[in-house]
Amino acid sequence: MQTAPKTYSEYSKEIDEALHDEQLRKTMGAYAVVYRTNRANVMRDIDEKALIKQIADFKDDACAHMEELYQQFKEQAEKRGVHVHRAIDAAEANQIISDIAKAEGVKRIVKSKSMTSEETQLNDKLVADGYIVDETDLGEWIIQLRHEHPSHMVMPAIHLSRFQIAEDFSKVTQVKQDPDIQRLVKVARVQLRRKFLSGDMGITGCNFAIAECGAITTVTNEGNARMVETMPRVHTVLVGLDKLVRRIDDAMIALQILPRNATAQRITSYVTWVCGPTAWKGEPAGQKSMHIVFLDNGRTKTAKDPIFKQVFRCVRCGACTNVCPVFTLIGGHKMGYIYMGAIGLILTYLYHGEDKAKILCQNCVGCESCHNVCSGGIDLPRLNREIRNRLVDDGNGQAMGSLMKVVMTNRKMFHSLLRFASKAQKPFTAGTQFQRHLPMIFLKKHDFKALPAIADKAFRDMFPNITPKVDNPVCRVAIFAGCAQDFIYPEQLVAAVKVMAAKKVAVDFPMDQTCCGLPLGMMGQRKAVQTVARQNVRAFADGNYDYIITLCASCGSTLKKAYADYLENDPDISVSVLKKFQDKVIDFSSFCTDVLDIEASDFVNTHEKVTFHGSCHQCRALKAADKSRELIRDAAEYVPCNEEEVCCGFGGTYSVKFPEISKEIIAKKVKNIQDTNADRIVMDCPGCVLQIKGALEKANSTIKVSHLSELIAENLAK
Amino acid sequence: MSEINKELVEKFTTMATAVNATVVELPSREDAYKYVVDLTVSKDPCEMLADEPGTEKGPLGPNRVPTRVQRILSVPQLNDEEFASVEAYAKEKGNILCIREGVRKYGAGLDVGVINAVAGVAASGTCLCPNTDEDVRLSSMLCEISVLLLDKSTIRPDLPSIAGLMRECIGQGPEPSFNALITGPSRTADIECVGAVGVHGPLAMHIILLEA
Repeated sequence: MQTAPKTYSEYSKEIDEALHDEQLRKTMGAYAVVYRTNRANVMRDIDEKALIKQIADFKDDACAHMEELYQQFKEQAEKRGVHVHRAIDAAEANQIISDIAKAEGVKRIVKSKSMTSEETQLNDKLVADGYIVDETDLGEWIIQLRHEHPSHMVMPAIHLSRFQIAEDFSKVTQVKQDPDIQRLVKVARVQLRRKFLSGDMGITGCNFAIAECGAITTVTNEGNARMVETMPRVHTVLVGLDKLVRRIDDAMIALQILPRNATAQRITSYVTWVCGPTAWKGEPAGQKSMHIVFLDNGRTKTAKDPIFKQVFRCVRCGACTNVCPVFTLIGGHKMGYIYMGAIGLILTYLYHGEDKAKILCQNCVGCESCHNVCSGGIDLPRLNREIRNRLVDDGNGQAMGSLMKVVMTNRKMFHSLLRFASKAQKPFTAGTQFQRHLPMIFLKKHDFKALPAIADKAFRDMFPNITPKVDNPVCRVAIFAGCAQDFIYPEQLVAAVKVMAAKKVAVDFPMDQTCCGLPLGMMGQRKAVQTVARQNVRAFADGNYDYIITLCASCGSTLKKAYADYLENDPDISVSVLKKFQDKVIDFSSFCTDVLDIEASDFVNTHEKVTFHGSCHQCRALKAADKSRELIRDAAEYVPCNEEEVCCGFGGTYSVKFPEISKEIIAKKVKNIQDTNADRIVMDCPGCVLQIKGALEKANSTIKVSHLSELIAENLAK
Repeated sequence: MSEINKELVEKFTTMATAVNATVVELPSREDAYKYVVDLTVSKDPCEMLADEPGTEKGPLGPNRVPTRVQRILSVPQLNDEEFASVEAYAKEKGNILCIREGVRKYGAGLDVGVINAVAGVAASGTCLCPNTDEDVRLSSMLCEISVLLLDKSTIRPDLPSIAGLMRECIGQGPEPSFNALITGPSRTADIECVGAVGVHGPLAMHIILLEA
């Protein structure tokens, strides 16, 4: 039986186990790198964004008309002789399938891979009812032999080595098998052919259930699905209602993205389109029997949910797992219940309940990588935050979130506490920017990075003294500081002010601004985010600013993107006020290149070797990373870094909740940075500076870490 | 009939070759039939993956199972005249059993299966193969080498451009139908993400492009 963690300490132990699984780390780590390159290659043939939009559109349409499509499918399929069933939940689906087997006189069942049957835990039921059940997908068969569950949606045995598999195959064949992958594949070919020949019933899943003709399609590489569909007399299909699509054309569109996203293939070896029971030649005048069982299990309810209905754009490609920095480290056994990765966290909540999801759903660093590649363009990080919101609404929130809510929605109290901390930390900082002497009892799992100290003086307290006097300004801007720059790294903002003053920009700093709300959002504190969002929009509403500048990509994406969701239909902030605010928000790099037209001739190029870290929200939400690179090239010598746009593992409260994972992600980052031999690394986010500076300090590295604004300010021609 | 688009043929060939298919161009069906007989003779003996009582067995193959002594070529879609000519040529070449039906009997594996594709997709080297008839379907599944016959003029640019044809192949009912998009031989990367060809289906694939 699969289990889901119930407490953080239980989950933390499980995560530690996965982090020490060398095979898992090796295979998944290598796959993550290869996948990224190969995916980019095969995506070049097509208009990726346009196809993703088309998939989103036809899936949204199918979701809105789920009942209508079900009826149409049923009518078409029955016309061709299919028995169509519908199950309200997992138990009913399993019972229907067991009853079909009984009525059809079945003893042996062969299955091709179906995540939906994992969802219902069908095999357990069929085995308990006395049937012999064999999985025939190579990966599924391997894990069935080991009594395990899939660790990846597309490659279920990705966590196992050839040596482990050779041992399992030796046991099952009673012959010593060599750990040679090509040979092991053929062992499965021999063993499973016999299973296909003796199966009485085949069970498959379905990728697309096409309403216009009642066809089911299966997408496979090995060819086991069509064996399962052809050899036995009975074919039973288990399919979620979310797999219904209107037309053949819809499936053709999705088939251009699904395999590219899943395994970086242009298409899989086989896509079968089964439309009714064909003649069966296992006996004279034989006829196949075909059953299709549609599974609801929460789907009709989800289809009506204004936010979660988006989840039905999923085509189960697994791309969200392939690019997830957390999944890459700990795999599907620990980052999911049945379904895994980003989509898995959400489906666990929707199909398996709050109880199974409440700890798991916290394990998302919020890096937006999944959102960026999803076949249906699902805003997975947002849906995950929505789960946390609803957990809080239902009284299942985290204590830390409640405390943060109390402190952070009261700006004066929050900022007083930070000012107090600046004084109180003195014994621990030894005058440096780091907290050097905190007793280890507080740190334990946080010892992988030097923690930053609160600055002596917050930016808001310095600003009145450094406000530039500009005559005939080219434009008027207001700075949105964000907590980290206001209280930890004010020098990053001071540098930006210096650049703007040199370019004749009038700069203001509205004092009523407060935290953007992102950390509260990550804790599911929706109401608290709304409170601070209103306060921020009001703080900037009266100033006659042309732009609102952020030097923190995470704050920037929260203001520019997430506020639209949080303040939708807000009683206090009108749509036009909000829009005006959001339109003005711009990141510092884009402001420098697009508004100030800063270019190479504005700098004294020092030829310092400078590499770059593409912060998650800057790359994927604000899509401004290329502008930063351009500025680096203008001011110094840009040195590319491996996995430059992969998350640094900070994720705000994430690194507090899951320090063990954060530690592994930053360790990879540090290695990649050191491999560049650069003198300095810059980025556009103080959170990333905190993580990377702390980790490089701990590694005794001499590589300088700074915000891009500091590099620009230093090298700008006088 | 559509005209042959040279660019699409080239693209199709590149893409199919990229996924381990062997693409050959032949002038006529007669040439294709000779090609498949020659292929049946020249390949390694077929391994028998399961028991098949009464069948003469040769030495163990690379996977430590017996091999077939008589070679089997399945050509389920040939008419009587074509079949007779294939049989005659096969007889000249060696100990080959040519079959058109009862393919299920050879579930342990057969040498070469030949079926028709009704369209090609250039973007991915894919063939659309209607195979409602079980013998046609199994001919492309139980064989060690799968051969698909494709008229060059039927090659279309991409998947959406064959949606209409797929609709025709599926039909309006009430007759059931079974269709497949096939791209290269069977494959997997389920062990350590290392690619391997020939899992449950064919070990190799040949696509014969015909001047039609």
